[in-house]
Amino acid sequence: MSQSSIAPYLPTPRPGETAWIWLIKMITGPLLVILLALHLLVNHYVGSSASGLMTYEDVIHYFQNPMIPVIEILFLITVVTHSLIGLRGIVLDMNPSRPILRIVTWFLSSLGILSVAYGIWLALTIASKGG
Amino acid sequence: MANTRNQPSAGKFWSWFLPIGRQTGSWAFALNRITALGLTFYLFLHLVVLGRLAQGPGAYDQFLALTKNPFIKFGEWIVVAAVFLHGLNGIRIVLTSFGVGVTRQKQLFFGLMIVAVFFILMFTIRMV
Repeated sequence: MSQSSIAPYLPTPRPGETAWIWLIKMITGPLLVILLALHLLVNHYVGSSASGLMTYEDVIHYFQNPMIPVIEILFLITVVTHSLIGLRGIVLDMNPSRPILRIVTWFLSSLGILSVAYGIWLALTIASKGG
Repeated sequence: MANTRNQPSAGKFWSWFLPIGRQTGSWAFALNRITALGLTFYLFLHLVVLGRLAQGPGAYDQFLALTKNPFIKFGEWIVVAAVFLHGLNGIRIVLTSFGVGVTRQKQLFFGLMIVAVFFILMFTIRMV
């Protein structure tokens, strides 16, 4: 099959989304499939009791393994990045003007940084509650 | 002006949420976008609610009691369904973006959606 015959099916880049931003979304996507599968498995199958979600005690105990806060923080950075780049993509599909896009980019970047900072604080706070 | 058909515009924005009468790809696109918005909303809600863990066992376990509410459970089920639909549809997007299976998108889409339904059913059994 020649290259030209598949050309109409290939995605075209969004104006305003650079190749690097797009690539980050493409890399974090499959990574999140794995991380979310683990997240759901831990919270709904392994760690939880038969009656439902992990209790406060369960969560504190879970966070005593030093690998857990590290994994949770990396997971948070990955998911926040993916979701905010995706949200920006949806805004781009409304064809915003450059000044509006600049505000959106600043707003989403700030939201991302604040969310990650909050998440790191929360993970470390939970980890410090035990022991 | 050449090929304005696929150019983005604010006016066409809402029509993308309802791809009635359009091809499978448009449905896949709408599904990806609606689940994206829902999951983004849930992500931040999730982060805010988990803040209760910092307030001690009383605050958190009080929230856990709330998750027994059938409406909250239904909401959680929607989130779980959105995760599988978005994640598996996303696998198709990544594969085709790198040139894999571009002419087999419909088969890829339906195949992955069958897998998604399987996982959603698995979780439904777990949750009820």
